[in-house]
Amino acid sequence: MIEVTDLQKTYRMGDVLVHALNGVSVTIAKGDFIGITGASGSGKSTLLHMIGLLDLPTSGSVTISGEDVTALPDYQRTLFRLEWLGYVFQEYALMHDLTAFENVALPMMARGVSEDGIRDRVLHMLDQVGLRARADHLPKELSGGEQQRVAVARGLVNDPEILIADEPCANLDSENSKAVLDLFAEINRERGQTVLMVSHEEWHLPYFDRVIRLSDGKIVEG
Amino acid sequence: MLSGARVSIFLASRAILRGGKVGTLLNILIIAMVFTNMILLSAIIGGAVNLFHDQTIDYVTSDIVIRPERDERTLFHVDELLDRVNRVPRAARASARYSIGGTLSHEGSMVSIPITAFNPRDEIEVTKIHEHIVEGDFLSPADDGILLGQFVAGHEDPGLDFFESLGGVRVGDSVEVMFANGVLKTYRVKGIYSTKSYQADYMAFISWEEMDAVLGTRNTEATEVLVRAQSGEDLDLVKLRLLQFGVQERVETWNEAMTQVIADSMETFSIIDKISLAVSLIIAIVVIGIVFTIKTINQRHQIGIQKAIGISNRIIIGSYVAQVLFIWLFGSLAGMVVVNLLLLYFSANPLEFPDGDVVPVFEMATMLENAGWLAGASALAGFLPAWRITRENTLDAMRG
Repeated sequence: MIEVTDLQKTYRMGDVLVHALNGVSVTIAKGDFIGITGASGSGKSTLLHMIGLLDLPTSGSVTISGEDVTALPDYQRTLFRLEWLGYVFQEYALMHDLTAFENVALPMMARGVSEDGIRDRVLHMLDQVGLRARADHLPKELSGGEQQRVAVARGLVNDPEILIADEPCANLDSENSKAVLDLFAEINRERGQTVLMVSHEEWHLPYFDRVIRLSDGKIVEG
Repeated sequence: MLSGARVSIFLASRAILRGGKVGTLLNILIIAMVFTNMILLSAIIGGAVNLFHDQTIDYVTSDIVIRPERDERTLFHVDELLDRVNRVPRAARASARYSIGGTLSHEGSMVSIPITAFNPRDEIEVTKIHEHIVEGDFLSPADDGILLGQFVAGHEDPGLDFFESLGGVRVGDSVEVMFANGVLKTYRVKGIYSTKSYQADYMAFISWEEMDAVLGTRNTEATEVLVRAQSGEDLDLVKLRLLQFGVQERVETWNEAMTQVIADSMETFSIIDKISLAVSLIIAIVVIGIVFTIKTINQRHQIGIQKAIGISNRIIIGSYVAQVLFIWLFGSLAGMVVVNLLLLYFSANPLEFPDGDVVPVFEMATMLENAGWLAGASALAGFLPAWRITRENTLDAMRG
């Protein structure tokens, strides 16, 4: 379903060229729960950003369901993200002017879903992450764990084919981390959604169907 | 498209409701002041233009003026012409004027201007000079006195005069007049008027009968005939009727008859008004643009998040344009309140200009037109910074 071919990403830092990804090729099947690990600077977030269409590679391609997404123009990549992908970021990345409900509702609104449809689905998602009672709270009124659960609900609200999570547990205590991982495992198991998650925690590994380990921009395992 | 607009408005409303209130209020105040500035100068210019028009009608041309064809100096058989004009429906009254060049002198001061004769009974029906006598009286039929405009009478202190004057003659003083035909006559000043019109107040009038004496014959010619239309009549229609009733001469409404100097002044006012409007719009674009540039830079991270979760650039830009239009709406409404308060004030306290009191003209159509321009300028000022940020790489924007 996801095919990454000879992906290269090179950054220029002053006069120095940094090869964040150096010829990465990998195939990910639909419904896989993939863990991407590696040391800091190994290129795991860069790979996730490429697959998540948040950044473009220097060379190589990413094909999702037969579509070379690296060749899409910017507005089509945005549309693809909205319709195919769900994101959970390390720093929650919530809109601070919006309540928990509104944050979760935003991707559905962008897809043109009716208000009734949005309401039912958002409340269901908030229920699933245990935050229905906090629906009207702004992010600043929520704890870090609660904010991340809102972000998870937002990432899943459009029922995306692929969930992309960049160290979603980095700022969470173990209890909240476990809750997030359990939720990912559940949606992966019950809905067959593909989950790609960057993590450097050893205790997360049992959750993954497969682990892709990166080092110096290359896949060394998986 | 509509769902995109819905999301834009949703994001804008939340940003306004939950964002910094002080900043929003300041932006509204800026728009209100820019709007007031746009309207005020335009209103003052409109008031000055109205004053010019009113002065032209009330003291110089009346509603319609009949003048000889360009190759003629005078209108002939003026009694017949007056009879014909006075029979025209919708024409209230006509007054003939006959002008001849003359040099007035008084105690060494001299002024050379046209001396104009009229029939006072007709004149008071077509102009309002008689309502502005500041000293003495208006002319009466067959009067042997002279009526002087304030600028002709002048002041004892020459520094107070705009033009050459008689140095402060008063009612009852004698003024010597050397007419262009060589006749020299001495007149007692019957009255002095002040309309504040540069054109009207630099004139001198004598009675029709007195002009007969100067010409040495019964005068049957006129240099112009002023026609007052009945109140509220369409002047173009009255002009058409005059032509239909056999008036062969050059018939012009006051607007057509305005001198080139005044027409040029109107054009100049119009240019000043347009420049002022353009400057106000540029100020609005720059100020709002700066405010929204700072706002979008501060919100780069949030814009990056929106892009990352699949919100299109069009929706994001639309949310900033919607915010700025909200500010425009309330700013313009606040501006309209300020403008209407100013209207009340200036109605009671007109602006004093040398050529008359100007009451600024606040027209709803002008306000709406300017509000429309301001909406466009505001939208542009909101659009550009948002467009610039949304063009950035999503990850760069997310990093703030």
